[in-house]
Amino acid sequence: MTISLFIEQIINGLIIGSMYALVGSGIALIYGTMRVLNLAHGEFYMLGGYLVFLLVVTCGVPAYLAIPIALLAAFLLGALIQRITIHYLLQREGWAFSTIAVTLGLSIFLQNSALLLFGENVQSVPYYVTGIVEFAGIRIPMQRLLILGVAILTIAVMTYVLKATRLGWAIRATSQDRDAAAVVGIPASRIYLITFGIAAALGAIAAAMMAPIYAITPWSGLPILFKGFVVVILGGLGSFPGAIVGGLLLGVVEAVGVQLTSTEWRDVIAFALMIAVIWVRPWGLFGSKS
Amino acid sequence: MFQPLRPWQWLLVAITLAALAVLPLLSSNSYVLHVLILSMIFGIFASAWNLVTGFAGLKTFGHHAFFGIGAYSSALVALHSGLSPWLTIWIAALIATVAGLFIGLPILRIRSMPHVAIVTLGFAEIVRITISNLQSITRGELGLWGIPPFESFTLPVLGEMKFSPADKAGYYYLILVLLVFSTGLITLLMRSKSGLALVAMRDAEDAAESLGVNLTRHKLLVFGVSAFLVGLAGAFFGHYIGILTPSAAVGPDLMILVIAMALVGGLGTLSGPLAGALVLTCVVELLRDLNDLRLLIYGAIIVIVVMFLPKGLATLGPIVRRRFTYLRAPTTSPAKHL
Repeated sequence: MTISLFIEQIINGLIIGSMYALVGSGIALIYGTMRVLNLAHGEFYMLGGYLVFLLVVTCGVPAYLAIPIALLAAFLLGALIQRITIHYLLQREGWAFSTIAVTLGLSIFLQNSALLLFGENVQSVPYYVTGIVEFAGIRIPMQRLLILGVAILTIAVMTYVLKATRLGWAIRATSQDRDAAAVVGIPASRIYLITFGIAAALGAIAAAMMAPIYAITPWSGLPILFKGFVVVILGGLGSFPGAIVGGLLLGVVEAVGVQLTSTEWRDVIAFALMIAVIWVRPWGLFGSKS
Repeated sequence: MFQPLRPWQWLLVAITLAALAVLPLLSSNSYVLHVLILSMIFGIFASAWNLVTGFAGLKTFGHHAFFGIGAYSSALVALHSGLSPWLTIWIAALIATVAGLFIGLPILRIRSMPHVAIVTLGFAEIVRITISNLQSITRGELGLWGIPPFESFTLPVLGEMKFSPADKAGYYYLILVLLVFSTGLITLLMRSKSGLALVAMRDAEDAAESLGVNLTRHKLLVFGVSAFLVGLAGAFFGHYIGILTPSAAVGPDLMILVIAMALVGGLGTLSGPLAGALVLTCVVELLRDLNDLRLLIYGAIIVIVVMFLPKGLATLGPIVRRRFTYLRAPTTSPAKHL
């Protein structure tokens, strides 16, 4: 294998990894603020993909309009799901397990609703941009560069929101200490609702960008959920920056691993990496022990 | 941890067992037997999952790995070594135990529930993908077929025990014995000192440790026993069904089914998972025509049970009774019943 091909694979790994990072950061946000492990997160990705498909292919809406609409819809869906299930469970005893169980049930329910609504056919969306960029023998399709650009933009916006807006302060305050935040007038329930919506929208962005490359099926959420879990374990569960770095790292490790073995073993590599990290550093590669 | 059974409860257990034992003599309908055999396989699976999750409080989501390991080990050993399935199911259960201890080790160090859930899920995915990729050994999704059935033998009173698709009575009695064995083992374990330690570990890990409960030993013990029983159920399943595919024997659907059973029956109770397994297996059979809706309904059942019946169907009884007594005698204080 030539060096340029190898570099090409690494760059592809980074690009796919940036999408893992978006999905993982949604899981991390939800866990970070309300200590809920969302097993239905992959379904936000899957439904996001279908929303974009319906808007772009079925209704003929241009992609630059369709994607924001899909994001908004995903936000509302996420918030709705939080309000009718997690919201009530958090007020009860044993919520740590009951929220995991309920999101598992939701995941199966949404997956099979999608199967009923859209059928089991594999769907895809045409490329948003065409063309190939060539530099020093390395060839990268424009579509993939667009993915990377959108990921960087999304992460920048999210970082700004979390660090420099009142909403972001409220989210971070609630995640640090719910009761103390409530004392200064931050309504935890509303913050939870918004966080869930944002996390769902992050999943939908990833889905919208991946739709032209990866097929959309009712089952496309599950593998990406597992990837998201690996990402948050690598980065430390509940850490937003950790999830970003974890996602990029996973993308590169997978790209190199697939070069060394074959595509069928891609997921085994990811999970083995995760179990190894849990064994050595249960608090994540970048988190602190406390 | 359980109260000793009262006489009427002993009677109930005896009647249930007697009814299950004479059933094949009354009805030779192989479809009824098939549904009951599946219920009992899942009953063992759900009870063993409940042992780890409901009693010991280690919330794992990867027990289907042990089912698949049990099923494939027993089938492959029987196919290649020519050993009798009567022997290989125990070998397979031991292999599953080793796998359980192996995955138990990283879990020991983690106290956070989400981490445990993710690690066990990931482990099961590794097992599933590995089985499906090793096509030269397992034939992958094409299916491993030609798994030898159990050998027939003759019993003094009951006559010949046959193990064939047409005559399921042999399978029925064997799985009934395995179910009694597994329920007995779980009951003995939970009634021992270790059982108390497990429940203490679930309810207050730090407090249990400070009182001298060896967390490492108990977590490994419970994981080993549970993996053993699930592996045994898986091994039986392989020889009973006769064909194994990774999606049927190690698929996440299997775990979802078992979680739904334990939740519906009531987590952390002895009879709950057994009742849940029977109810949901029958529901699946009734919904056979609505195959597309099957998993949709499961998802909905899990959500509804978690939201409205957090302790499973067992709590439905008291709720109904309370309503009822309330209407009849509003002055009755609930404290009287405690």
